[in-house]
Amino acid sequence: MSDVPLMLNATEAAILRDLVEQMRALVKQSDATDPVRARLFPDAYDGEEEAASYRDMTGGDLSAVKLEALDRVSESLGQRGSTEIELGQDDGEAWIRALTDMRLAIGTRLEVTEDTMDLEPDPSDPGFAALQTLHWLGWLQERILERMVP
Amino acid sequence: MKQPTIAPDIERDSAPDEAVEADRPWLVIVWNDPINLMTYVTYVLQKLFGYSYDKAHKLMLDVHNKGKAVVSSGPREKAEMDCFRLHGYGLWATLSKSE
Repeated sequence: MSDVPLMLNATEAAILRDLVEQMRALVKQSDATDPVRARLFPDAYDGEEEAASYRDMTGGDLSAVKLEALDRVSESLGQRGSTEIELGQDDGEAWIRALTDMRLAIGTRLEVTEDTMDLEPDPSDPGFAALQTLHWLGWLQERILERMVP
Repeated sequence: MKQPTIAPDIERDSAPDEAVEADRPWLVIVWNDPINLMTYVTYVLQKLFGYSYDKAHKLMLDVHNKGKAVVSSGPREKAEMDCFRLHGYGLWATLSKSE
């Protein structure tokens, strides 16, 4: 299986290191009223009782899965500077999962819709920078996905 | 994927409601969301369920165009595990009992 080449300049790598830290904090908090939390840990059932019991049963494991992916990304990024590495398939897998969680967190925070996702980001919009990051993370994810074997 | 066998009528007759109840499979449903990329959703369905690209792509389009799609089904325990794995990949999945 082919490796996944990954080249990030120092700014890009720094953005990702920061996002990894923010995601760790998000995964560890348990504010049930936070829409981002609700999107990262969705209810499996319509019924509140069944949903709560499913959450009790799986919530810890789901956190662990997400934190492990973040750890792997953190390891690939290194401590500082730019990043130029070849990810194996396992690390590529961790990357696309972590990038998904970052995108879900940012997109949910911005309350994006299919329409806003299709539009060119507007520089006068207060969410401009975050929306650009969201699209860049998607671009990065697709570059990795191209080299992944399902 | 192989569907669970429906109990023969003779068994259902012996314990009507419970048997029918137990045999109705649980459905794992993936809902459309505006954030996850189509290529990613297709990849995840291939990866988790071993579906061909064509099957995964079609399911992804159903999610995208119809708002949701049943991506797997089976006994409750299996359906819950499938749902958990989808959540691990950030897909918005829920469970419901088939009608």
